[in-house]
Amino acid sequence: MAWRSVASRLALWLLAGSVLVLVVVGAALFARTRAQILKHAHGEATALSRAAADRIEARLGRVAAATQLLATLAGSGTRDAEALLRDSLKANADIAGLAIAPAPTGDRPLAAAPFVSRLAGGTLQERDLAGDATHYWEQYWFLGGLACGQGCWQRPFLSRSRHRLLVNYSVAVQRDGRASGVVNADVTLEWLQNILDTLHTPAGAYTFVLGSDGRYLAHARAGLVGVAGSPGLLQAMARQDGAPVRLADAPGGPVWIYPSPIRGTFWSLGLVMPEARIYADVRQLFLAGLTLGLLALLGITLITVVTLRRTLAPLGVLAHRAEHVARGELDFDLPATDRRDEIGRLTGAFDQMRHQLAAHLRQLTEATREQQRLASELEIAHQIQTALLPKEHYLDAHCANFELHAALRPARAVGGDLYSYFMLDERRFCLLVGDVSDKGIPAALFMARTITLAKALAPRSQSPEELLRLLNQELCRNNDGCMFVTLLCGVLDTLDGTLALASAGHEPPALCGGDSVRLLEFETGPAVGLDEEASYPVHQLTLRPGDTLLLYTDGITEASDRTQAMFGMQRLLDSLLAPPLPHSAAGYTGRLLADVDRFVDGASQADDITVLALSWLHLQPGRHSPVLTMEVRNTLPDVFDAIARCDRSLYRAGVSETMRSDVQLVLEEMMVNIVQHAYPDERQGTIGVQLQMDSGAIVVELHSDGVPFDPTRAPSPALTGDVADREEVGGLGIHLVRAMVSEMDYSHDAGGNHLRLHFPNEQDVTIA
Amino acid sequence: MSLIIHTEIPTSKRATMHLRGRLDAATFGAFDEAAQALLQDLADGGTLVLDLASLEYISSAGLRSFAKARKGMRERNGHTLVLNPQPQVRKVFDIVKAVPVKEVFASVGELDAYLDVIQRQLTQATEE
Repeated sequence: MAWRSVASRLALWLLAGSVLVLVVVGAALFARTRAQILKHAHGEATALSRAAADRIEARLGRVAAATQLLATLAGSGTRDAEALLRDSLKANADIAGLAIAPAPTGDRPLAAAPFVSRLAGGTLQERDLAGDATHYWEQYWFLGGLACGQGCWQRPFLSRSRHRLLVNYSVAVQRDGRASGVVNADVTLEWLQNILDTLHTPAGAYTFVLGSDGRYLAHARAGLVGVAGSPGLLQAMARQDGAPVRLADAPGGPVWIYPSPIRGTFWSLGLVMPEARIYADVRQLFLAGLTLGLLALLGITLITVVTLRRTLAPLGVLAHRAEHVARGELDFDLPATDRRDEIGRLTGAFDQMRHQLAAHLRQLTEATREQQRLASELEIAHQIQTALLPKEHYLDAHCANFELHAALRPARAVGGDLYSYFMLDERRFCLLVGDVSDKGIPAALFMARTITLAKALAPRSQSPEELLRLLNQELCRNNDGCMFVTLLCGVLDTLDGTLALASAGHEPPALCGGDSVRLLEFETGPAVGLDEEASYPVHQLTLRPGDTLLLYTDGITEASDRTQAMFGMQRLLDSLLAPPLPHSAAGYTGRLLADVDRFVDGASQADDITVLALSWLHLQPGRHSPVLTMEVRNTLPDVFDAIARCDRSLYRAGVSETMRSDVQLVLEEMMVNIVQHAYPDERQGTIGVQLQMDSGAIVVELHSDGVPFDPTRAPSPALTGDVADREEVGGLGIHLVRAMVSEMDYSHDAGGNHLRLHFPNEQDVTIA
Repeated sequence: MSLIIHTEIPTSKRATMHLRGRLDAATFGAFDEAAQALLQDLADGGTLVLDLASLEYISSAGLRSFAKARKGMRERNGHTLVLNPQPQVRKVFDIVKAVPVKEVFASVGELDAYLDVIQRQLTQATEE
């Protein structure tokens, strides 16, 4: 976990980097120091070696000088050679013995060969070598000495008599240009050992003196004197340039050898320094430095970690809180900070961010809730709007003379298209198709208003043009939004197929009959809702059996495909005419909608689509035809004549006397009233009477071309139980009529007054 | 069919109008005339009996004439009694509540009995 924190990783990387730098720098320094140390050690050791060699040279030089002087003196024929020898021996402590040995002539010496030697006690002893059993002139030192005009150092030897290692220095005595003898000095070598011992060699180093035969003349380890040096050593010592030589295969590790030749002899002095000793100090120093450096680094790292962790601690808290935010928890505490650095700014910004996020989330939640509410309301509105529409299919169950099929597809959840149909009375069927301007909820509300008003106003209007006129007046009221609706309204006589059409700016309907189709272009009024004074001309036609009238909205003709091309009128007509011809109203609407769907090919629907097909079948002609139709003048005799004719017809039809009396009474009351009130100023007029019967129920229609007169609005009279109590004379007739009929409808239009009276079925009356 | 009126005035106290046919907007004028003439001949406190046994039909116009005659009799402190109305007439009377039920009689016998009672009451009142 700790390694996941920025502070720890930062500290780790810092530490790693520092260690790397330290190691690299240390290694470079170490290499450089090593070279320096080595150079320094070389200088020091070479100097030491040289100095020791020089001291040895000096002492040997003194011995050589004394001996050469003796030889010179001996050559010049000195007399007291022995005294000379004694003096020389006294003057030079390094000489253990001196001899002047004349060369023999034949096998005998010509003169005495004095030899003075120093005894152990320091006293001098003399003797003549010539008397020795061993002939000195046969000895090696003598023979070698004769060849040494300038003096030479002989090989060291172990004197048996004196039990010490000695070395001869021999100089030939020159007389008359030839060697006449040899002066020989026995030189002790103990001092050589002393010199080596008194040298201040560095610890671990040691010195030795190597003789010309490769054996040690002296060695810091006394036991090795006389022992031959190793081949590697000899090879190194043989180099005459005096440069240090590294001997890698020495026992105990590699060593450096500093040779210094001792001039005047074939000896050389060597200083041996083990390499480990040279580097011991620097290695120790380096290790100490490294340790200190690491300790320092550790300290720095600790400080860095602590500082970083303390500095970046709020960052950890922020990261923790950010995880809260990721989980959607926005209510938490943030570390209080008054820092002005990035952390402080980050904390401030984070705090602001989560507050804004919380506010935003709240808004979003509210907006979503609001949206859900709207969607649900829209769904309910859709259901309500659907409920406003009658069902899609209507087959006149009563007489099966016509069939209707409608389809409405809103472009959105709710729309402004509408259709409606209903029976105005037992005979006339009203149908309506409309398209409200605009779309969506305003259009839907206006549509609801239109469809509801149309149903409410229809009984009063009785004709399409009147319905549109009343509807227009109502919808113009308080229509500040200037919404309007185009409407096509028709009233169909379900008995004979006559159809009255009135249009308020709506698309012309298409009439499909047989194998032809044509648009019914007739004069239309303005759209409903715009002009309060508008009137709507009526267009009459009679449907023939097999005719289908197609009403639609512009959603059909203006349906667009992806290239914005419109379906258009021609395609509509072609679709209706294409064989095989549909044989039902549903067939027409289904085919047209399928063609539109195929045309738009998945493009989104821009406008509501409504299509309504009305097929005239005329299956049962005449069943509802009137029993009696006549027109009479507006005089009482004519009226009574008409009543009598009606009664006769009813009598022939087998209507009971009671019912006939009722009909007579109602007809008299109504027609007398019409004559009296609808034709003021004794004007001439005509009253149309139509008597219908349908399975026992009698319906009478009275059409009068006088002034508007609505008997249905007459008030009911006050009845006291005695007609003689009444002051006013009218009202009784209407009261009687109301008691006799089951239904009474009045309307007025350009044709005048229309009164429709329904009598209850006789069986119902009997039961009642 | 029109209206035929036949009147009887056995005494100045009592008159009977026999109506036959239809009393409607076309015939009420004849009834009004006959009733008016009859009322002149009747003494105060007399009784007018309308015999409707043969009246087939009455409309609101007939009701108005009937009400007019009844008002005339009331002014003379007389009574107007209805005898034997036929179904259509009875129905119309019922609908508009034209006359109190006690003044409608189904037969001449009922009517005579009622008139006797009234006569006795009047005689007793006079004697007292």
